[in-house]
Amino acid sequence: MSHVLPHLLNGLSLGLLFALIALGFMLIVGVMELINLAHGSLFALGAYFAMVIISPDLAWLGAAGEAWAVLPLPVRYGLAVFLAPVLVAIVGMGLELCMRRTYGKKAEYGLLLTFGAALVIEETIRLVWGPSEQYLQVPQAISGAFLFAGLIYSKYKLYAALFAVGAIAAVWLFLERTPYGAIIKAGAHDSEMVRALGINLTRLRLLVFGLGAGLAGFAGIVMTPIWGLRPHVGIDAVIPAFLIIVLGGVGSFWGAVIGGILVGLAVGFTGAYASELSLLSMYLLLIAVVTFRARGLLGRKSGLEA
Amino acid sequence: MPRKTLTRRSMLKKVGLVSAGAAATVMGPWRHNRVYAAASDKPIMIGLTSDASGQYANSGASDRRGMMMAISEFNERGGVLGRKVETIHIDTETTPATGSRVAERLITRHECAFLIGAVSSGVANAISQVAQKYGTVYLNTNSSSPTESGKNCRRVKFVWDGNGTNFAQAAVRNAISAYGTKWMLMTNDYVWGHNTSAATRKLVDQFGGEIVDEILVPQGTRDFSAMLLKVQQAAPQVVAAAVGGDDQKAMRQQVSQLGLGESMAWINNQQDWPDVYGLPLDNLFGVFGTTWYWKLDLPGVAEFVERYQEAYPDTKMRVPGNVFYNGYMATRELLSAVERAGSTNNRKVIQELESLKVSASDRMQHHDAYMNPATHQMQQTIYLATANQGTQNPDDMFRVLSQSAPEEIRDADADAACMMESLDDTPTYEM
Repeated sequence: MSHVLPHLLNGLSLGLLFALIALGFMLIVGVMELINLAHGSLFALGAYFAMVIISPDLAWLGAAGEAWAVLPLPVRYGLAVFLAPVLVAIVGMGLELCMRRTYGKKAEYGLLLTFGAALVIEETIRLVWGPSEQYLQVPQAISGAFLFAGLIYSKYKLYAALFAVGAIAAVWLFLERTPYGAIIKAGAHDSEMVRALGINLTRLRLLVFGLGAGLAGFAGIVMTPIWGLRPHVGIDAVIPAFLIIVLGGVGSFWGAVIGGILVGLAVGFTGAYASELSLLSMYLLLIAVVTFRARGLLGRKSGLEA
Repeated sequence: MPRKTLTRRSMLKKVGLVSAGAAATVMGPWRHNRVYAAASDKPIMIGLTSDASGQYANSGASDRRGMMMAISEFNERGGVLGRKVETIHIDTETTPATGSRVAERLITRHECAFLIGAVSSGVANAISQVAQKYGTVYLNTNSSSPTESGKNCRRVKFVWDGNGTNFAQAAVRNAISAYGTKWMLMTNDYVWGHNTSAATRKLVDQFGGEIVDEILVPQGTRDFSAMLLKVQQAAPQVVAAAVGGDDQKAMRQQVSQLGLGESMAWINNQQDWPDVYGLPLDNLFGVFGTTWYWKLDLPGVAEFVERYQEAYPDTKMRVPGNVFYNGYMATRELLSAVERAGSTNNRKVIQELESLKVSASDRMQHHDAYMNPATHQMQQTIYLATANQGTQNPDDMFRVLSQSAPEEIRDADADAACMMESLDDTPTYEM
């Protein structure tokens, strides 16, 4: 058991991170019934924005840049964690404006548009920041390692899991405890009725897309100190995000969280005991679940089935 | 006098005979079956088969820059055999299937005389199968699976990087005496990883070490936490990693976060420069192999770095690395071989490359290098390096620890495993 416990804890923390990656994807799929293939690129964009904000080298800002450079790293990092997702949310809203012409048409139009957007964002990143590996600095207090039961664990990964718990809780509170959340859920359930009640559905979609994009950007900031930062890092995020949504059930908040944790446990345990299957395990898990529950663990009928 | 009439049947016979004669003249049965614009001033077309996306996108770009610099230098001197050298690049996507498709297209549609480029051994093997089918000379610039010059060797393929066995030869014996006999392997789960791991395993056994476990790392792995917990549980004295590309970057970052780089010895079979350039030195733990470093104290190195910086003033990678170097050297030697052969005839070029010898000063390495005619792998100096801790120059990341002459790190198994096609069985061409 002493050999298994570390892998259980590791799988759980990994699962929380997977859930974080899937959160923004879930929101957009759930409310807008749109598979956002640009999710991974927005994930990468968040990390790159954070890297710029954290960097003390902002000479192009003149005096403001110099003032910024003297701020301690934890302050710059803290601001980056808030500002970068906001910037990504703005990019996401821009993307939603482009999406409007595809509403009411076949799902393929939305898929193609977000796929194109993913390519454009990734190539823009490559042009602006270059193709090389970059490095997202984190404050000393949350980097390094700690010893627990004779094994060394990454301090940052623990904090990343806590970030994930915080983000999951915040999204849940927003959806369940605020009137905006109620409107979003109602919009997902019956958009015509929501419109009939006088709610501006266009603005609602803009908000949801922005929120989903911001969450993708936040996940990018949290994950890239572990995965590394390169223009195509988004590919590493969008595939598990999509898989987790299908596994948990399209549009289900808790489905995404449980799906993420199950994927984390599968990857964590196979990584330890059958490492060659560690990537395959998530797909095997998906096959096992959809064989018995075609709509995923907590899924209900959605517009994507039409 | 009987009157000759032209019937439909006799007409068809005549047309058939004339067509067969014309086809036989151009296409064979003789081996010289592709002749395009030979001895003309038509540019020599070279197909660049480097990755621009996928796991080795970054290394592929560096590889390509090396080839392009060599080609520019020849063109500035008036080309090769008085003909301009032109290139066409198609992304091989770090995917073997794409590699095959790209090679087929470059040879048949774009009429490329030569193909150059590879980082992934799987892609290189796929390209070389197509190249052999047409007899097209192909340079595997940067992929380093021992099989590339072993069981997957080809008459048309020439391998320019050191392979996993060469690097393991350079590292294993010293590491066993310096760090201990209890070893663990971390192996990328594809051809290069498996073959490098097999070479390491054999050497560890030979020098009295023991492999306690091997962790297979699927390509595309981003989270190494479970594997690194397992490494800690096994508590080896040495971890020999054959993990490349983006996987390696993620692994390095996570090992560094745990501080495992200091608590056990790490031997990274080979370290490609584009994979670590710009990363904090903490991520560059352990000892690793390379074929070249930009701060080698040898004649010509500083000038080579200057030429790189002039050629690529906007590149974020401010100094050339081993991948660039291999791309450059391979291309330079190919074009020189064409000049010596006085022709693009593939047989003549192959024979020139098979007898290639390059002095240490020309190679900017410590020892003379030569092409092994039995395996078509360049036999060259291999360096072991580690992080240059405490440096003030962010580009000066490596500290070279030792250098091994080609005969000290020779891959004898490749000689035995390589059964390449004869020249007679290789289609010929001249373009």
